Amino acid sequence: MEENAIVRAEGLRKTFTLSQKQQKLEKTAEKRKVAVDGLSFSAYRGEIYGLLGPNGAGKTTTLRILSTLIRPDEGDAFVGGCSVLREGEKVRDKIGFMTSELKLEGFFTPSYLFDFFGAMHGVGKDALAARKQELFSRFGIDRFAEVKVSDLSTGMLQKVSLVVAIVHDPEVVIFDEPTNGLDVLTAKVVTDFLIELKNMGKSILLSTHIFSLVEKLCDRVGVIIDGRMAAEGTLEELCGGCSLEDKFFEIYRNIKGEIV
Amino acid sequence: MKLKALIQKEFQRFFRDPKLIATLVLPGVLIYFIYSLLGSAIWDGEKNYSYDVLVYGASPKVEALFEASFGESLTLTRTEDKENAKAQVKAGSVTALIAFSEDFDNAVSEYDPMSGEKAPAIEIFYRSADDASSAFYTAATSLLSAYEGEISNAFDVNLGGEQYDFSSTSEVVMTILGGLLPFLVVTLIFSSCMSITLESVAGEKERGTLATILVTSVKRTDIALGKVLPLSCIAALGALSSFLGIALSMPKLMGLSLGGMFVEYAFGDYILLLALIVSIVPLIVSAMTAISTYAKSVKEASSYTGVIMIVVMVLSLVSAFLSGIGDWVAVIPVLGTVVAIQTVLEGGAALLIGLIAIGINLVFTALFILLVAKMLGSERIMFGK
Repeated sequence: MEENAIVRAEGLRKTFTLSQKQQKLEKTAEKRKVAVDGLSFSAYRGEIYGLLGPNGAGKTTTLRILSTLIRPDEGDAFVGGCSVLREGEKVRDKIGFMTSELKLEGFFTPSYLFDFFGAMHGVGKDALAARKQELFSRFGIDRFAEVKVSDLSTGMLQKVSLVVAIVHDPEVVIFDEPTNGLDVLTAKVVTDFLIELKNMGKSILLSTHIFSLVEKLCDRVGVIIDGRMAAEGTLEELCGGCSLEDKFFEIYRNIKGEIV
Repeated sequence: MKLKALIQKEFQRFFRDPKLIATLVLPGVLIYFIYSLLGSAIWDGEKNYSYDVLVYGASPKVEALFEASFGESLTLTRTEDKENAKAQVKAGSVTALIAFSEDFDNAVSEYDPMSGEKAPAIEIFYRSADDASSAFYTAATSLLSAYEGEISNAFDVNLGGEQYDFSSTSEVVMTILGGLLPFLVVTLIFSSCMSITLESVAGEKERGTLATILVTSVKRTDIALGKVLPLSCIAALGALSSFLGIALSMPKLMGLSLGGMFVEYAFGDYILLLALIVSIVPLIVSAMTAISTYAKSVKEASSYTGVIMIVVMVLSLVSAFLSGIGDWVAVIPVLGTVVAIQTVLEGGAALLIGLIAIGINLVFTALFILLVAKMLGSERIMFGK
């Protein structure tokens, strides 16, 4: 099965220096915080893989390492066989990374931004035009193609962000907390989009703390607690008949000893 | 292709936004109108006054001197009633009142300063709030001081009627321009770069749109170049607008004719000036891009650049006191360019110092671009909390 892995993390470790303010907030005297601690996992082609964990478990840090925005202190990760440490540019061409932290310039139109980010990924003009037509009509953006991004509704803006992130037809789509902070309608747009992407043959890696989202979307799930992989497998393998929520808190209690 | 798209995006962002275009053009237009108005107020005002002056007592010599100096703009009218005359000045119906002490001319010629007696006196009653009255008072007192010096003089300086100052008017103008313009040019370029670069780089970082570009496969050096190159062009246009505003209004401000200012420089001088200005723009833009990339917000970036602006302004001001210190100053960024611009404007040999300054500007620009590219790859700078 390993040869079918499109994303492979091997012993990832990442620590951050805490400022005095952060030390006070976290009520610790430690100057460094371990965000990810020897994390290894594999996501396979064509599946939706979910990283499930509470806030601060290291999910976002892991996804940032995979998208080459930050470097691990130890270990390495591979996307489509390319190392995030040594082949950052190749990795970025293979992924579409979506997170609420990445924004689109409100001054421009969806059409302009699609072309701009297409050029950033080196997509040819003809291919770009064809892809724009296909994606814009599939997600209903075509009517708003020439409207400034700042004038779009939240749902439409989310659609545009998603479409722009996959302008270069990436093999892997990485999505940090896909439905966080979205209203029910926009959240539906996003989950439908992810299912649509999977049907298009894409491999998807997402992080979340919402059990229902994992149950609805994910083929396999990795439970991260304190930067470590606590459990991994398909929902059946992991839960063995009980609900994901019950299983998660059982794992959490086994590791942390308490819930709060 | 990626770099081209990045450059085009910056131009699109700027030239499709009327507000940003206004920030580019407005300073030049405002400078032109303000300086022109200021010049008109200074130079035109003085020429157009006519003075209606009352004279109490008599001094044929002084009266003749006034008439010769002011010409037709002055009307002297004798009065016997000093108090009434003072009331007229106070009411603004006449420009001023000149009151001579008794038998003024004879008293002056017979007066011995060593005697300890009270000297003959002239009193000028005027109103400083009235422009014409105030102008007359200023001109009259300087005329009387000169007259006083003349009648009790021990020796003369440069009164032989020959040409003593061998500098031509154009040389004087060149000296004034040499001292003033480099400072203005550098300050204008700096403020033009500041408004554009901070918004484009620190603004994009703050809004999270720069990070969106970072997750594409574009090279960090391309992103740095994609900022510095177009922003330099835009900043140069802004600086050109302000420069034109100054250059066109300067003759009015200084009371000179436009032609007199610009005909004295050779074609080569203009090319060197242009090259110096063109080369300092990317230097300042790249330095500000580095600062903006480092800063977490536009506010933080503007506080850093505020400090740098003071340093640059001081450097461009002290250059006026550095003449003759040697060509080695050309290796100091900004200062070298300022000294070179100054040398060109003063009509000196500036080719060597100019070329060194241009070279230094380009080298430092390249270094700043590499620094920006490095910072764009730094997670602490780009994503540090």
